[in-house]
Amino acid sequence: MAETAISVQNLVKEYGELVAVDHVSFDVNRGEIFAFLGPNGAGKSTTIEILECLRPLTHGSVSVLGNDVTDAHAVSKIKERIGVLPQDFSALDRLSVRENLSLFARMYAKSNGVDKLIDLLALSEKSKARFGDLSGGLKQRVGVAAALVNDPDIVFLDEPTTGLDPDIRRTTWGIIKDLKQAGKTIFLTTHYMEEAQELAERIGFIVRGKITAMGTPAELMEKVGGRKMMIFKDGGDRVFGALKTISQDVSMQGSNVVLPFSHTAETQEALSVLGRLGLCPEMEIKSPTVEDVFLKLTGFSISAGGEAA
Amino acid sequence: MRRSTAIFVAVTKNLLRSRAGLFFSLLFPLMLLLVFGAVFGGGSTTHNYVPYIIGAFIMTNGVIGLTSIATEFKRRGVLKRLGATPLTRFEWIMGNVLSQTLLAVMLTAVVIVVAWLAFGLTTIISVYTAIILFAGAVLFSGMGMLLAGLVKDPEAANGLGNAIAFPMMFLSGTFIPLAMMPSYLQTLARVLPLFYFQDGLQAAMVTGDSSTALTDFAVMGALALVFILLGSYVTSWREK
Repeated sequence: MAETAISVQNLVKEYGELVAVDHVSFDVNRGEIFAFLGPNGAGKSTTIEILECLRPLTHGSVSVLGNDVTDAHAVSKIKERIGVLPQDFSALDRLSVRENLSLFARMYAKSNGVDKLIDLLALSEKSKARFGDLSGGLKQRVGVAAALVNDPDIVFLDEPTTGLDPDIRRTTWGIIKDLKQAGKTIFLTTHYMEEAQELAERIGFIVRGKITAMGTPAELMEKVGGRKMMIFKDGGDRVFGALKTISQDVSMQGSNVVLPFSHTAETQEALSVLGRLGLCPEMEIKSPTVEDVFLKLTGFSISAGGEAA
Repeated sequence: MRRSTAIFVAVTKNLLRSRAGLFFSLLFPLMLLLVFGAVFGGGSTTHNYVPYIIGAFIMTNGVIGLTSIATEFKRRGVLKRLGATPLTRFEWIMGNVLSQTLLAVMLTAVVIVVAWLAFGLTTIISVYTAIILFAGAVLFSGMGMLLAGLVKDPEAANGLGNAIAFPMMFLSGTFIPLAMMPSYLQTLARVLPLFYFQDGLQAAMVTGDSSTALTDFAVMGALALVFILLGSYVTSWREK
């Protein structure tokens, strides 16, 4: 049985009348990448900050590496063993990259060598540059290095690639996968569907403070039938009408006609129906994504900026 | 202690690398010294303004400058990131207090040397001068960290710092001698921390009255302890 790194039971966080986190329960296993996926304001950051011992909880129980986050004596033990990359990581502007990392290293009883981290994150050329002079992507890389400075057992990454360009995002994903290979437990929050799908072994959907679904990407796809889709580009009414004769699940999405299917035989049948009518629209086959599941289960998607759309 | 020292080194470097920070912390008091010296003259009259300039600027560096710096760290999320390490609030405050104490020593040294060279300042440099300066720096930086814990952002910090610092300067005799004030204002001055700092500086640097200096040191030490402990309690790692 997998060892539990994080255990959250009936977690509630209230701000006056507002319930930011509403009876949330989940476990994260050691060595696992677990992602919280939801739009802005869903309760992701509040939850992660409770796990990081930065916010008090209102009700419920939370343990990190076997330590209760509400126990004042346990908090320093937790903090010694976790690494944190907050949203919009910031450090002392007029200190160099190396000086900032040395500062973070000195906060812990044990630490990874700063030089080793500078090499690992490819920051050698910028090690003497002032933090305030770095680009957003480099600052984020320093943030990742700072999160690893104590060789943590759990790494918390709060929206680690928000605002980064696609290349740097993919580089960051590579670093996160390397951390997993090194045996770290990773708790990730994101509003990027593809990020959750690419990285996470299990995903929890969080909407308005509540977990609406949780599981491996495959399990989540099962929730929407796990069916692939034939997409007929600009199929129009004739294609839609023809396919309607063989499946009630066919739908129009804009000008495209979408036909979900479970077996290859269904695709052959669809193509032969269209062939008999002399129709030959451009077609592609798409597997369901986390985004499809999220849309199906919550009724909305998430924009690039993190808003519910 | 290790973590406080690391914070002390980091925030001091960060401050000393800021031209604006250095100007307001060190050069601005020097400019005021030159203006006062030109207006009131040198020799023994320097006793009437040098200790007050030192006291007033150590106070404003703590109550206005440090409050703004600490709330800016909070706004930018630096404090939240440090709060996710084993660093305690007390260690964070002590690192900043030590940094301001070093700044106070630098400020005092610069003002005394320039006042001596330019206006012939004669002052007593003794252990009492050192302990009063130390107590003043710790007291007002502790007060600054307490205020930083109470306010949300740098704008509010600046406003609150000014609202406290300037009335305190007027009411503690920085600009107008206390003897010229009505008796109720003289009584009010005795509840203000700056009164004890300036009284202690006068006693240590000018009159050599060690007993007054020690009494003022004790009052400032007690207040500093209260401010630092309260600051440790109210400091939040993130914006509320």
